[in-house]
Amino acid sequence: MEEEEEEARALLAGGPDEAGGGALGALPALCDPSRLAHRLLVLLLMCFLGFGSYFCYDNPAALQTQIKGDMQVNTTKFMLLYAWYSWPNVVLCFFGGFLIDRVFGIRWGTIIFSCFVCIGQVVFALGGIFNAFWLMEFGRFVFGIGGESLAVAQNTYAVSWFKGKELNLVFGLQLSMARIGSTVNMNLMGWLYSKVEALLGSAGHTTLGVTLLIGGITCILSLICALVLAYLDQRAERILHKEQGKTGEVIKLTDVKDFSLPLWLIFIICVCYYVAVFPFIGLGKVFFIEKFGFSSEAASAINSVVYVISAPMSPVFGLLVDKTGKNIIWVLCAVAATLASHMMLAFTLWNPWIAMCLLGLSYSLLACALWPMVAFVVPEHQLGTAYGFMQSIQNLGLAIVSIIAGMILDTRGYLFLEVFFIACVSLSLLSVVLLYLVNRAQDGNLNYSARQREEIKFSHTE
Amino acid sequence: MCGCEEPRWGSGHCAPGPMLLLSLLLSAAPFGLLGEETRQVSLEVIPDRLGPPKNLLHVRAVGTNSTLHYVWSSLGPPAVLLVATNTPHSTLSVNWSRLLSPERDGGLMVLPKDSIQFSSALVFTRLFEFDSTNTSDAAAKPPGKPYPPYSLANFSWNNIADSLDPATLSATFQGHPIHDPTKAFANGSLAFRVQAFSRSGRPAQPPRLLHTADTCQLEVALVGASPQGNRSLFGLEVATLGQGPDCPSVQEQHSIDDEYAPAVFQLNQLLWGSLPSGFVQWRPVAFSQKQRGRESALPCQASPLYPLTLAYLLPQSPIVQAFFGSQNNFCAFNLTFGASTGPGYWDQHYLSWSMLLGVGTPPVDALSPLVLGIMAVTLGAPGLMLLAGGLYLLLGHKRYSEYHPIN
Repeated sequence: MEEEEEEARALLAGGPDEAGGGALGALPALCDPSRLAHRLLVLLLMCFLGFGSYFCYDNPAALQTQIKGDMQVNTTKFMLLYAWYSWPNVVLCFFGGFLIDRVFGIRWGTIIFSCFVCIGQVVFALGGIFNAFWLMEFGRFVFGIGGESLAVAQNTYAVSWFKGKELNLVFGLQLSMARIGSTVNMNLMGWLYSKVEALLGSAGHTTLGVTLLIGGITCILSLICALVLAYLDQRAERILHKEQGKTGEVIKLTDVKDFSLPLWLIFIICVCYYVAVFPFIGLGKVFFIEKFGFSSEAASAINSVVYVISAPMSPVFGLLVDKTGKNIIWVLCAVAATLASHMMLAFTLWNPWIAMCLLGLSYSLLACALWPMVAFVVPEHQLGTAYGFMQSIQNLGLAIVSIIAGMILDTRGYLFLEVFFIACVSLSLLSVVLLYLVNRAQDGNLNYSARQREEIKFSHTE
Repeated sequence: MCGCEEPRWGSGHCAPGPMLLLSLLLSAAPFGLLGEETRQVSLEVIPDRLGPPKNLLHVRAVGTNSTLHYVWSSLGPPAVLLVATNTPHSTLSVNWSRLLSPERDGGLMVLPKDSIQFSSALVFTRLFEFDSTNTSDAAAKPPGKPYPPYSLANFSWNNIADSLDPATLSATFQGHPIHDPTKAFANGSLAFRVQAFSRSGRPAQPPRLLHTADTCQLEVALVGASPQGNRSLFGLEVATLGQGPDCPSVQEQHSIDDEYAPAVFQLNQLLWGSLPSGFVQWRPVAFSQKQRGRESALPCQASPLYPLTLAYLLPQSPIVQAFFGSQNNFCAFNLTFGASTGPGYWDQHYLSWSMLLGVGTPPVDALSPLVLGIMAVTLGAPGLMLLAGGLYLLLGHKRYSEYHPIN
């Protein structure tokens, strides 16, 4: 209300001069879309936008034993909950950017995807209440329709508001918030389940369903953020005459054939890396209980440490990569560290906190160094498609690997599963090395230091 | 396998050194066995010509320099004698009239006596049942309200000769209580399946313990018996000969390898003395379904060994008395299968657990060739790539600098 009044006043006072920017000085910094304070407010909303979906994404991991016990399913079937989340995104992420740009627009897109997330989580919970595992799977499917596309929307918002400013930092912060969501989930859901169990008097599928339903509140919160963000974005468009956040040019699926070799390598790095992290975390809790003799609470804590570390470190690493450049080297370090961490988990009985902290650090570093690289190798008008495509094949990888991981675990155990993950990370490492070589050979810009980038930017503007 | 042993009961973590890790990665060859690679194994039911058929199974495993004798019997409680001799010619002599008389001493002998290197015995004395409904703590002792135990000395057993299978070198003792007022075993039985091996290998079904020609496998299966409660846990009391005043210890070995028994990272081992002596080895896992998988896996808790005092009169095993004499001090430990939550006997009225009994150095698991192969490829490929890429860049850079002046 207050904001609207101020906005109106500013518009009246500024009249036709507002595009010049001078007249906006009358607005308080928090409400002035051209000021940092306002961008921070938007940033906050963007961060909470993803909170719900990230909180609920790892609900199965936090309640692995409960789900397997209450719903009477084996690990392979349990991992289908993750696979079903990923399947719709194989197609949707590919179109996610397209839908946002051409069909819904960023604002409606975000709201629609948030709704899907909410509905999906409710259906997932109902599956528990009605003791129907297929319904749970269907819920995860609906949840998945919203989840990843929402992340694309979140990125597009970030680019639209922060391009050329603090973009890497913003990516980092958004990730932090997502990770806080996951961490809270890991450590809260088990406790929540036991509380609901005490309340209902017994464990069982109903307890599970109610617990998941309560977890769904976070999704409502995210939906509210999507609504407010849509309003603020529209307002900024009116005041600043800024384009609605989109990539602008015509997006064609045939763009894919124009993708360069380095971009494909980035895709491979991304897929092979993330399939060794997310399914591992999905299955991690029981691993720490069985192999290292952790209690259920301690296992939840260590399983979420990757996210805990990621939350504060993502912005730090984001800044670091911004200031130093040399993205490929950072990615190389991150992948090598992840490889080392998986090796430790597989072949030693060393305290797993060491390996998991290393995994957390490398995971945050990778996210900060890898994702911005896409922007260096694709023209701006293909950025949405490229990011969408990247997430699309990442989801294809996650869906397939989730199923494979469940099957390996049921038949061959955790050691073999870890070896499988090591093989994935190793493939990722191979691609990083190849990317470095290709970049060297093509005199690409991927591994420039921050100063080189500045110089190039300068010479271009000249 | 991690090369660390914990002499006392309890769980702890220990780490293998980096050197060990390296050697594990580098050597695909299985660890050399101290015992014999292969043995001539024969199974024989020793008949009592004067009376009704009795269950006395003699497993004789002959190697080039040694003979192992496993004598399984269900006279009294099910029991096994294991005797290792340093000659391929040692024999078992049975004096039935002595064995069945109160003065059993000398009823069972392995000859020549001076060839005996090691001997011990296991007696399976009682089957326990607990009500786990009101216990949340899985490690509680006892794991619930105990029902009256079944004494295995008061079971009647099938004729072992009927189930003898020379092809698989196995035989099964199947029994039920002689006196069964609750009709719990009307459709059920407790079975001890004994299997010997002529060479090393690994069964297809979990827990897939690695066996050698020096070992015998025992599978205990409780099938179809009606439990006395809705959530009954079962347990088994196992007695063994003590060494002097002390009881042997059970070691818990932590391993990184669960390839053969998914999600089981532990191996329990009972050693009778300093190596090489006899050993009992088992994974702390039991199964509640015939199809043994992770979803039917139950935890198996073992108590430390305690000396048996006069407080509880152990049912005597005639074969143990006949071989070792009547003055022996016994130690016992209890195994409990399952916990109050998760899968249990109540699912399908089925419970199975296996152990390995042997002489010499216990078999040690090594990483499977498949794991080592995958690791070699996955670590080798990026390394080679770096090397090749580095060379390419070096050469490519040279060529570039050659052309540079023309530009």
